[in-house]
This record gives sequence, structure tokens and C-alpha cells, in this order.
Amino acid sequence: MEYAVETFSLTKIFSDWWGRAKVYAVDDLNLQVQHNEVFGLLGPNGSGKTTALKLLLGLLHPTKGRALVLGGDGADPKINARIGFLPEESYLYRYLNARETLDFYGRLFGLPARVRKMRIEALLDMVGLTAVANRPVGTFSKGMARRIGLAQALINDPDLLILDEPTTGLDPIGTRQIKDLILKLSERGKTILLSSHLLADVEDVCDRIAILYGGKVQAQGQVKDLLLQTDKRQIITNAISDAAVEKIKQIVQAEHADCVITSPMERLETFFIKTVAAAQQQAQPTSGAVSTTKLGDFLTVTSAGENILDKLVSAPIHQETPPETPTTEQVTPAETLPDEQLLSKLTELVKPSPSDETVKGEKVKTEPVEHKTVEEREAKKSILDQLTGRSTTRNADKEQPDKSATGENTDA
Amino acid sequence: MHSIWAVATNTVKQALRMKIATVFIILLLILLPVMGVTATGDGTIKGRLQTFVSYGLSLTNLLLCLLTIIVSIYSLTSDLQQKQIYTVITKPIRRFQLLLGKLVGVILLDAALLTLFAATIYAITIYIPRFSHVTEEQQNQLNNEFFTARVGLTPAQVDVSKEVLNTYKELEKGGQISELFPGLSRQEIIGRLTTLKKLEKRAAAVGQDLLWEFHNVRPLDPNESLFVKFKYDVSVTPPDSQVFSQWLVGDYRQVKYGTKFETRIYSFERKDAVRTSYEIRVPADAVAQDGYLAVGFLNVPLNDTVVIFPFEDGLEVLYKADTFTANFIRAALLILCRLIFLACLGILSATFLSFPVAILLCLVFFLTASFSGFVVESFDFLSGNLSSVYSYTLKPVVRFLPQFDKFNPAKFLVPGRLLSWSQVARVAGLMVCIRASVLLLVGVLIFSYKEIAKIIV
Repeated sequence: MEYAVETFSLTKIFSDWWGRAKVYAVDDLNLQVQHNEVFGLLGPNGSGKTTALKLLLGLLHPTKGRALVLGGDGADPKINARIGFLPEESYLYRYLNARETLDFYGRLFGLPARVRKMRIEALLDMVGLTAVANRPVGTFSKGMARRIGLAQALINDPDLLILDEPTTGLDPIGTRQIKDLILKLSERGKTILLSSHLLADVEDVCDRIAILYGGKVQAQGQVKDLLLQTDKRQIITNAISDAAVEKIKQIVQAEHADCVITSPMERLETFFIKTVAAAQQQAQPTSGAVSTTKLGDFLTVTSAGENILDKLVSAPIHQETPPETPTTEQVTPAETLPDEQLLSKLTELVKPSPSDETVKGEKVKTEPVEHKTVEEREAKKSILDQLTGRSTTRNADKEQPDKSATGENTDA
Repeated sequence: MHSIWAVATNTVKQALRMKIATVFIILLLILLPVMGVTATGDGTIKGRLQTFVSYGLSLTNLLLCLLTIIVSIYSLTSDLQQKQIYTVITKPIRRFQLLLGKLVGVILLDAALLTLFAATIYAITIYIPRFSHVTEEQQNQLNNEFFTARVGLTPAQVDVSKEVLNTYKELEKGGQISELFPGLSRQEIIGRLTTLKKLEKRAAAVGQDLLWEFHNVRPLDPNESLFVKFKYDVSVTPPDSQVFSQWLVGDYRQVKYGTKFETRIYSFERKDAVRTSYEIRVPADAVAQDGYLAVGFLNVPLNDTVVIFPFEDGLEVLYKADTFTANFIRAALLILCRLIFLACLGILSATFLSFPVAILLCLVFFLTASFSGFVVESFDFLSGNLSSVYSYTLKPVVRFLPQFDKFNPAKFLVPGRLLSWSQVARVAGLMVCIRASVLLLVGVLIFSYKEIAKIIV
């Protein structure tokens, strides 16, 4: 079994009532997804991404060709037991609550009750839905449904994760979290095949991509290789003097090359997460999501003996390379009291904040972590510690959060 | 197995939480007690109980049938339409297991609800007499005619074909055929002669007697009574419409072969009106050890008419073979068989039809099965001109459907007739083991090859 997913001239033609070919949804697709890589299927709407994933899972029968998933047929229960699948929308049973939903899927895998219970709590905590675990998922917002959808895909600790547009319906913070989760899972040796048309998402997480159009692969390869502009060079410096800039220009001109010098832009995503986090720390009232300080348990849940998440626990916080995970937690202060322990911790730790009252309404609590504060983070022992540390740093940096921004941070 | 069970419990939850079942439960839990209070029947306590049991069971049956159809179809079609099936079928569950899970869920729900409602009906039925002012005589009548499970034995059919043929030949020889039956075909004449001959066997001229023998009579308790139910028809109606008679009930073989008398033979001298049903109450110890019982009738010379026992309800021997409770449980099982069949039908239609179309199809089949006697007869009658078309298309379908009306539980409980285990087993075998399994199998085949994610516009 060389590849985690391999397709051979996979073709799906949707025909009309008379059997005449109408649409080539997937046309002669040859994909090879290696083990332990994050593979992205990219393409505009209707390019055949979802159809390709459905073909892999046996939800559709190929017109021609063949697909091997983990060395077997994607419709075979033995193979299914090792796959986690998140469809393009989280299709859930509206009448079940979050915990029952996960329990149902856990039972389909035949997980024993004890393991099931442990995994469910861990996953609920991970996706930040513990506080609303007893609410019917029919009442969930799209973002919350997406989270529970992701949790069900992970209940069996799958070797291969197939995610169809995993970030649709999520706010930027949720998106960031999913992306971080994907990276974490990939670190743990999972293979992830995802489809998306959100290029930023794919660029951030994928090792390799294939761009589909009209059901055909238009380009395929390592993201780095595809995007690297070998005919250009970029130099990033601190804010140097104009004189120094002039000197550099002269040097470049001496090489007969063009030179553009500007100040680099921060990524909007980073800026957004930073802004919301800062506003949350000041307990800005908002009608939308509320950023909070509960962090990390998305990926650092302790569950002894649990295969699925124990490695996540050990995923070192001190590690330098991967960006620290921003975390989201859904709480409903109106109906469910927030975790008492958490609140007490918060009040204790975030003393500079004027008030720590939870704001009413359905909220997303987020603590993003800037990528540049790795060293600082290394010094911290716990996530909450980091939080306080960073909040003071940020205040010292006199960064004024944009108050209006918090209002837009609604969990879609 | 675990996955079947997971799907089954989910199906039950769906039915309850989506309030499909809840509506039916509330409706029945209100209607049944109301019916218990308002049912009057023919004014007697027995009539009241009969009306209640009949309407109560029919209503429960109807509502549960509708519920089964709706739940079994909705459960699968909603999964397909709302696409929850994407996440379910990609888990380690085979498609037939999914269907089985849905079926088990629906059956579990049915069984639970049926138990609930049957228990309600039973409790009300038992308690109505206790809360009404019932005389001892009425209570006795109830015990003998309603709170019982009686077997009715009718005289065996006598084979008269040889006699009829002989008569026909004689008439033919004598040249009387055209005289007696002008313009009739041979078959029609033989038909008429058969009827006449058979009636002849059930008729007694003045001074003549008739003897009926019954085997395998097994009363539940020999200290109780058995009943000889009869109705006279006469050639000449007597002035006061009354017929004198002598009846003998017991082991006739003791007289015939002159053996030692081991069981009693009871004798009754009566005077009864014609064309009216009567029951002679006989101690059940008249039945011989081996279950033999003979009933003798003598047309005493006081009469001046031939006495005929009509085919339909001329003579019947009734005895209590089981308790009302056991009969009631079997009646409920009969309903359960029906529900299982409908659940399989619902699941089959949901594998290839959308919700509204599947509902429509199942309702048509349900109604056809409920009036199968009428439907079969009318199709047979109307199809005279297009017999081949009919017999290759509609007929197999109609014949395949179970005949719900043939085994209507109220038909047994209202007259206090025994619904035997063998009858229930036959229904279960035919309806569930054969018909329902065929439906389910077809459903599994269709579903196994179905493209789950295919959008059909």
C-alpha cells in the first residue's frame, strides 16, 4: 500500500434520463495522496472536488476507473473504520444533542461505552462545545454544527481524514483553529485529504495540492514548488533608515535588476484574531462572538489512555515551528453557566482586565496566539499563563483594539 | 450488531423527538378512555364492551399502521434527503445493516406502543363491568360470551357429489331434466342439486332425527359449560312459530356400541321459535375423554313441519378453549404482524421513492390489504374481458398483499371466539416470514446498489 489514496482514471459522468452524458463531473482523475501528508483538492465551484471525494467513499459509483482508499474500497466497512469524513455541510440529526450525536457515531464504530464516553468528552472539549453539549444540534449555528461535524469525523481516531471544505461557515478564528488542528493531526501521522476553494486555507496547511477544473487536474505538486518564484528575491529587514534603503537600491541597480521597497503588510487574519482577542480581554460587550481566554484545550485535552488525543497532549507547547493554536469555545451564558473553574482561573489570572463578566449571547471565546511570540511562550508553563503574559505585553505595545471589530466576530 | 442497534435506537429517538409518534400517542391516550366512557353498543353491558373493544382495537390498529408507514418511510427518506446518510454510511456499517437497524427501530417502537395501547384497552375492558351495576346474570353472560375464547365447531361438510351425479343420471334417464330445470346447463343443474342434497342432510322430517359428530373438542375446564347454538328453518311455519324438539348431547358411541357409560349424555326437551338463534347450555363433562361429542336432534311428532338447519348458522357447538386474556394477547400479536409487514413495505418504498410518493404508495397498499376481500372479488369480477392483462399485472400484486381484513382481531374478540396460536403462527409465517421478508430483501437489493449521493431531479 504505497499511497493512502490513489485513483486510476477515475471518471464520473452524470447522464440524463436517456442515459446521454450530461456532465463530466470528474474526468480521468489520477491522484496519489501519500501517507502522512496534507493534500488539498482545489478548484472553483463545480470543478468536481466534492464528487471526487464522494467517489472515494463509495457514495457515488464511478463511471470509469477505480479508487483505492487505504489500499481498499472506500465503501468497505473495514476501510471505513479507519476513515473520518466531514461532508461539505455537517449533516446532523437535529433532534440529537451534541453528546448524543457523537455517541451515535461512536456506536457505529462499535466503540465500547467507556472509550466512547472518554472520547466524546475530549472531542467536545476540543471543539469547544462542552457547554452546549446537551442542546439539540438543530439549534446550533452553522459554525457550531461544523465543529460537531469535525468531532464526529475524529471519533474513531482515523488514519485518513477526508474533509470537504472544512472551514465553510466558520469565522476567521474558527478557521484558524481548524487549520491548526489539521496541522496537529498531520504531525501525529494522519493523512488528510481536504477540498476547498479558499486558497488561503489550503496554502497554510497543505503539503501538496491538485487544482481541479472541469473535473480534470490542471496542476499538481508541492505547494512550495508551485508557488516559489525562482526569478525573484525578497529581503525582509527591520525598519532601517532611508539612507540604508538608498544604498540597497544602488546595489540592486548595479545588478541591473528592479527593486521595490515597501513596508510589509500584516495578514488580515492575524490582525483580525489579534484585534478580537484584545477586545475580548477588555470584556467588550458584543452581540456576536466573545473571545475568551480558554486556550489550547482544543488540542491539549488530557485523556489518559486515549489514543486519539494523548499525543496531542504531548505535542509540546515549547515547540518553535508550528504556530500556537488559537482556541475557540462555545458558551451560552444565557442558558448554561460557563465553567466555574475556568472563570475563577480567568479572574485570577487576568487581573488587569476591568471586568470579567461573561457577556450574554452565544459566544466564541478565542485566544489567538501570535506567531512571533514563540520565545516568550516557551518561557510559559501553562496556556493560561501565556495568556496573561501576552495580554500585558500587548497592552504595553499600546495596541488599541478596534472595538467595532468585535461586533463582526459573529460565529456564522 | 452494534451498528444495527445504534441505528435502531436512533430511529426510535427520531420518531419520538420529531413528535411523529408523540402525536399518535397523545391522540390514543385521550381517545381510548373517552371511548371507554362513551361506548354504549346495544345498551347492554356486553354490547358496550364489544363496541369498546372493537372500536378501540380498530382505532389503535389504524393509527399504529399509519404511524408505522410514516416512521419507516420518513426515517430513511429524511436521511437521504437531508444527507445525514453521508456521515452514517461512511462509517463501518453495511447498507443492509442500516436498513435492518431502521426496521428494528420501527418494530421496537411499534411493540412498545402496541403494548401500551393494548394494555390500556385491556384494563378499560376489565374495569368497565366493575364500575357499572352488573347483575350476576349479566356477569355470567359476560363470562360465557365475552370474557372467553370460545371455539365454534360446525358440522363437517358432507360429500354429496356421488349422490348428486346418481340423481342427475336418474333424472336424465327419466327425461325429467328439461322439465324440472328448463334452460339450464348441466353444471348449473348439478350446482342446484348439490345445494338441495346438502340441505336434505340438514333437514329432519317429523319423527326423524339428525346426528352430528364432533371430534377434538377440548374445553379448557370440564366443570364449565359448552353451548349448542342452533337456529331452525321450517318448511311450514307453525301457527305460533314454535318448534318442539328433543336434544341429546354426549358420547353417542356408548349407545351405539352398548359400552359402559363413562360420560353422561344430557337430554333437553325444548320449544323454540323458528328463525331465531338459541344456545343450549350443556355441562362440559358431556365430552368424551378423547374429545368426541355427538349432538342429536329429534323432530318430535308434536310438530307438523320439516325442520331445517340453515348452512350459515344452523348449528354450532361452542366451548371455552382459552381465556380472554390469552386471546387478547394473541389479537395484539396479530396487529404486530401487520405492523411488521407495513414497516418492511415502508422501508422498501423508501429505498427508491421520495417521502410523499412512498407514503402514497404504502397507503394504497395498506387500504387494498385492509379491504382485500372486496378488492380481490371486484377485480376478479371486472376482469372478465381483460383477463390475461389482469392476471399478469394486477392480480399477482393483489394476491401478494396480505389480507388484513381476513384476520381482523376484533372479529375474534367481539364474539369471544378463540384466536388460536396456530392461526397467529400462520399469519406470522405468511405475512412476516414470507411476504415481509421478500419486501425487505428487495429493499436491501435496491439500496445496496443505490448511488447514495446521486441527486435526482
